[in-house]
Amino acid sequence: MNSLASKPAALSLLAAALLSAGAAAAADPVHTDAATAQKLEQQIEQMAQQLEAMKAELQQLKAQNEALAAQQRQQAAQVQQQAVQAQQQAAQVEQAVAQVQAQPQRGGISPDLSLWGYGEIYYTHPVHVPALTQADLARAVFGIGYRFDDRTVFNSEFEVEHAVSSASDKGEFEVEQFYVDHQLASWAAVRGGLFLMPFGLLNEHHEPTSYFGVQRNFVETLVIPSTWREGGFAFHGDTEAGIGWDFGLTTGVNLANWDPNPENPLYRTALDLENSGAAPLQATHQELSLANAQHLSQYVSLSYKGIPGLLAGAAVFTGNAATPTSPPHLPDQRVTLWEAHARWTPGAADLSAVYARGGITNSAAYNLANAGGSNPMPSKFWGYYLQGAYTVWRHHGYRLAPFVRWERYDMGAGYAGIAPGFGPVPMGLAADGQPWPQPHDRVWTYGTNFYLNPHVVVKADYQSFQTNSDFTRFDFGLGLNF
Amino acid sequence: MTPSSRLILLPVAAVAVCAPAQAMVYLSVEQAQKLMFGEAALTPLLITLTPAQAAQVEADSGVHVFSPSLRVWKAADGGYFMVDAVIGKHDLITYALALGADGKLRQVEILEYREAYGGEVRNARWRAQFAGKQHGDSLELGQDIQGISGATLSCEHLTAGIRRMLATYALVVRGR
Repeated sequence: MNSLASKPAALSLLAAALLSAGAAAAADPVHTDAATAQKLEQQIEQMAQQLEAMKAELQQLKAQNEALAAQQRQQAAQVQQQAVQAQQQAAQVEQAVAQVQAQPQRGGISPDLSLWGYGEIYYTHPVHVPALTQADLARAVFGIGYRFDDRTVFNSEFEVEHAVSSASDKGEFEVEQFYVDHQLASWAAVRGGLFLMPFGLLNEHHEPTSYFGVQRNFVETLVIPSTWREGGFAFHGDTEAGIGWDFGLTTGVNLANWDPNPENPLYRTALDLENSGAAPLQATHQELSLANAQHLSQYVSLSYKGIPGLLAGAAVFTGNAATPTSPPHLPDQRVTLWEAHARWTPGAADLSAVYARGGITNSAAYNLANAGGSNPMPSKFWGYYLQGAYTVWRHHGYRLAPFVRWERYDMGAGYAGIAPGFGPVPMGLAADGQPWPQPHDRVWTYGTNFYLNPHVVVKADYQSFQTNSDFTRFDFGLGLNF
Repeated sequence: MTPSSRLILLPVAAVAVCAPAQAMVYLSVEQAQKLMFGEAALTPLLITLTPAQAAQVEADSGVHVFSPSLRVWKAADGGYFMVDAVIGKHDLITYALALGADGKLRQVEILEYREAYGGEVRNARWRAQFAGKQHGDSLELGQDIQGISGATLSCEHLTAGIRRMLATYALVVRGR
């Protein structure tokens, strides 16, 4: 910088010298001889040379200056580039932080732990027999899940039925699900433990917010014994095209749990009917409670959900059952259940249908051995329903959806080995002075689900029974799921 | 076949099916970017919602804002790529949105799905229902978007999440 600063000073010195030399020559004409002129020329020549030298030096300085400026520019660019890099790194860090923060928080104890629950409370009023009106905290369920890694998850559900579980109460405390699910590929997983059977529309999705009506429909209670679970292993998955598949090897039915001759009817109201365990599979499925596992059963289930709003599926379950121990040496008995289901939800409408049918083979010997019993073992049972619902109003999360359902069920559609002179249902009156209820019926249900939000529902319905007309009832309920 | 011999078949079948693919993660963020924007340059945007903005988004979409940190990239063509997560039934679903320069939703992709049930939201036809939707459009499950039976909560929460992201885009991200 010093050499640059001194450049104008040097130039002015040179100019001053030239001027003073010229002035001196003009002031003294006496000495203007040839020698003097030559000397002056030499001086001018020298000065010109010096000037050239200085010019060169100046050029050099300029070049240096430019080089320095370029260097500075380059450094500045580098600094800028580093700043951009730093910014990008910061952005990446921010993105990573955002990625972590953007995930909604789960649980309070560990991000791998999940907790959930659902439950329902009923008020049920048989309109012809008001004395049998009941209110019940039907089920309170809490679920605990734990994710071990990206592929492995544990889920469990624990249920208290009828509010109090003790030796002197009807309530039950039960494990409803308890399984480990391990993802093998994007389209396949394996599951082991106690899990829900993939049958019908309701069994796997039995939370009160998932179905219409205060209580579950009869087909998926009396024919498909929801909440139906078995212990075992299963492979399952779904493809991006919307095909779901599920097959497994599980515990099966224990026919020793069948009561061939109860003194009194197992149910007197529709609520009893659902809770009593009177239906063939309800009475005999084992829920992995010291289950007889001498024979295993197998099932396969397929579904299609490839078109939004449409679900269609079918499933079949079959296996040899554990046979009753009395009388001894009964033949092998096979229990089979199959079903088909469909649901279509175009816009505000919600249409669904389920057909289910089951059978128990070789029941004749057992029924003959228990001839005259009030509750022979059926060889066939079936049921179906058709249901339509329509969301008529929705506002800020509230949703009102009335529905109507027609269903038929027959828990005793066929019997083998009924002794001559006896029927599957005792003639005459039971001990309470009323006729024995029939194991089949046709039921109209009219009602509405009113959702406060997708997780809380208030329900009301009226159910009209055509055969067991005393079962006709009004129900009111509250359900929730989180 | 005896029950015990059938039991032995299970682990054999498991080994046969088991592939080294990374399960649950269906697409990485980078794969989704490539799928939705090809080779177009995407610039990450650093956006954190202020409490006021978060409240605005909540009021507009009717959906709770879990986290103020956004994962947004701007595309060279004026579109945006956004990654978000919602809870399905109990566990997280991570998904990506591609928005065109006109603010219309071009595509929804599921990146990660972890639950044992409800994975049907991966279905392409279900996701295609969101294409063309933009902020201001009604976006309610069972009304504008058909649900999937058996995956109701996953559908419900994804639909709500997308509604929230469209509001976030319109109120905060657009023009950045």
